[in-house]
Amino acid sequence: MDRSKETVSTLGRMPSTRRHWSRAALFTGVGLLLAGCANNAPQDIFEPKGENAKKIDTLQRPVFYIAGIVALIVIGIVGYAMWKFRDRGQDIPEQSHGNPKLEIALTILPAIILAAISVPTVISVFELDKKTDTECIINVTGQQWWWEYDYATGQCGDVKIDKPIVTAGELVIPEKTNVLLRITSRDVIHSYWIPALNGKRDAVPGRLHTLRMQADQPGIYTGQCTEFCGLSHARMRQAAVALTTSDFQQWVDNQLKEYVAPEAGSLAAEGEAVFTANCSKCHQVNDLKNADGSPVLSDPDLYVVSGVAPNLSHLMNRTAFAGWTFDLLTEECRTALWTAKPADFGAMYLKGVTPECFNEVALRDWLRNPPAMKPMFVDPNNLSSTGGKYRGMPNLNLKPDQIDQLIAYLLGRN
Amino acid sequence: MFTTGSKLFLGATALSTVSAIVFGASVGGSAGMLGTIGLISVAVVFAFIAGINLFTRDGNVSATEADVERNTAAAQAGVGRSMWPLAAALGSAGLVVGAVSKPVVFKVSFVILLAAAAEWMVQGFSERVSADPKYNEGIRKRLLHPLEFPLLAAVGAIVFIYSFSRIMLNIDKDAGRWVFMVIGAIITAAGFIFAAKRGMGKSTAAGIITVGALALVGVGIASAVSGQHPIEEHPEITSAVCLGTASEAQIEEIDTKASQSVAAKSNVLANVHLTSDEQLYALNTGIGYVQYHEIMVPQSNTVHVMFHNDSAEPRRLTIHLGTFKAADGTEGSEEADCTTAVEKGGTAFLTFKITKSQLASTTPYRLTVPGVEDQEIKLLVP
Ligand code: HEC
Ligand SMILES: [Cu+2]
Repeated sequence: MDRSKETVSTLGRMPSTRRHWSRAALFTGVGLLLAGCANNAPQDIFEPKGENAKKIDTLQRPVFYIAGIVALIVIGIVGYAMWKFRDRGQDIPEQSHGNPKLEIALTILPAIILAAISVPTVISVFELDKKTDTECIINVTGQQWWWEYDYATGQCGDVKIDKPIVTAGELVIPEKTNVLLRITSRDVIHSYWIPALNGKRDAVPGRLHTLRMQADQPGIYTGQCTEFCGLSHARMRQAAVALTTSDFQQWVDNQLKEYVAPEAGSLAAEGEAVFTANCSKCHQVNDLKNADGSPVLSDPDLYVVSGVAPNLSHLMNRTAFAGWTFDLLTEECRTALWTAKPADFGAMYLKGVTPECFNEVALRDWLRNPPAMKPMFVDPNNLSSTGGKYRGMPNLNLKPDQIDQLIAYLLGRN
Repeated sequence: MFTTGSKLFLGATALSTVSAIVFGASVGGSAGMLGTIGLISVAVVFAFIAGINLFTRDGNVSATEADVERNTAAAQAGVGRSMWPLAAALGSAGLVVGAVSKPVVFKVSFVILLAAAAEWMVQGFSERVSADPKYNEGIRKRLLHPLEFPLLAAVGAIVFIYSFSRIMLNIDKDAGRWVFMVIGAIITAAGFIFAAKRGMGKSTAAGIITVGALALVGVGIASAVSGQHPIEEHPEITSAVCLGTASEAQIEEIDTKASQSVAAKSNVLANVHLTSDEQLYALNTGIGYVQYHEIMVPQSNTVHVMFHNDSAEPRRLTIHLGTFKAADGTEGSEEADCTTAVEKGGTAFLTFKITKSQLASTTPYRLTVPGVEDQEIKLLVP
């Protein structure tokens, strides 16, 4: 490049460092603006998909517009003043201070705006806290670094749940039903948020906070933990899946169906033995039996700080694992599910992870070395601060053929 | 002849030379080699700086103007006697004593030494800022008062609070109330008097405060020496009491003395009611209109339930926490926890955490009210 020319041309305008800054600012601004236009943004707060989120939206939009107009006016006036009265070597004008009329007006005007905004705000706050129309309650518990859902027995919308259901990562609810989440934590503070369905609610150990959930139609709505909770906070995600009543009934039936042991002599049967020996001390698979017919019971409270590990009975009925960060579905199948029409969604979701759609690589990597995929507090030589317990899943140093067997076994957990 | 600066650096040169010799003679190997070279280098550097100081006459007095030497700031004698060398000596001694006795002595001495060093340095500096002692004193205050006042105030507050807390720990509960009120009243009254009597001399006020402070510290020390009044522990609620197998006396003791905790109602998993005709049911938080006889409790969650007694008798809510085999395989006995007995219309709070699946226990997890038959709320722990 011809340096001399550039120097000459910049001399007349602005110093080159200042030009760098303005260029950077321009790029950042345009970048931010374009990011707002992304069409593949499932956590867009301006796209409510349920009654509660719509209430928030109706409240925030006018506020956003009013604030935007106020901002434009202020920026405009400041910009105008900066331009009009810029330093051109003129004399310093007469200095004055204070203008009571203007100041009173500029105090009263925002006060009126805020007072006006506060009316719908307070109404919405109370509406969003309503509990008298609950049709289903689900316990939601956060821990480092995943969410557990415990379905209470009793009615959930039009579906009756006879036995408790325990699952992880993916919340499944009936559509058009007022679900009340009862949120708490087993270790540090987390925060539950599905932007398309409602605002955030903190999960605080020892406290029970409630959050309404309602989805207008079947679909998958994603979210993430929004309270910094340590090492893998960024990998603590979640989703809510809404199904029609009949599909939800099917999902519940499937969660409560009897355990089907793999066929004797199969690879999966070998996997069952490997699972019982290596995994069942932390993970529960409902109704799994020892050779003598006694139930295999997990003791996660002895090994994990939070006292639990994900229930794996129906792992293959979820679409992602480990804090809902890694896909159990191949990219193709996931895209098909995520973009499915509401009418087709339920049937597709209930199929679970089929062998054709199984994203085996991720689960294999996980079994080979979990902390390499997701940072966790699991160095066996460095657990003195937790009394020997893990925060997360340790590397179990499994052999390749054990992993093959486990994969075959887990693929049957649907 | 020798200027002030050069004397300092000549001394440092001598010290490092001696150290180099001693070190070199006593420590062998490559460490000794390296150390000696280092110390010699230090000596050379100090000698060099001493030379420069000599040559430039410390850089502040022209060698030709002899009388300037007497009038410069640096040539002034220190104004006041200083307490800081003494404090520093005390601190150093304390450091040594602390090193072999108690760590707290070491820490306190270290703080004293640091404070003395800072004060001494600033005093030394400020006394030579100019030839005007008044101005110099002003400089010292300007530098140190923003540090000294808050620190002294903090120390004063700590001594005050500590003395007061020793007094309160020494006297018994009922006397404590009175002492609190009386001291509070005295302080308030003193405040009023100070505010009202404008004409009061500075020293009178200071005198009164000093006497008060000394009295407080004196009584505080006396109280600390005589020790604390006995503190009665809350008795631990036992399974036997909750299951109704303990003796009358033990049950009575728990009901009158066990600690009762109450927290916000919105945080409970369920409200458990015992009706006037002794029926037990639960209202699951979130669904107020269904009476539940089983509630799901997530494993390893700390949960709270609120017990409401509407029956005529005083009743407690007992949680049955299961029966487990001991590590050596022997059968265990049922574990339980409970609230204290509450009167009709009363409420009590029960907090628990169940870490094992129901299948691990040979007896069911449930809530019951001892004395009320055939009523229970199942706790489902999958
Ligand atoms: C020391 C306890 C422990 C052991 C042993 C253990 N895990 Fe885990 N596992 C965990 C924890 C904790 C998590 C949750 C990690 C996270 O998402 O942050 C987890 C997560 C998982 C997940 C993801 C589940 C989901 O839905 O998010 C799978 C799959 C899994 N483990 C499989 C296994 C298998 C297979 C074995 C046996 C080879 C095993 N685990 C052994 C503690 C354990
Ligand atoms: Cu979190």
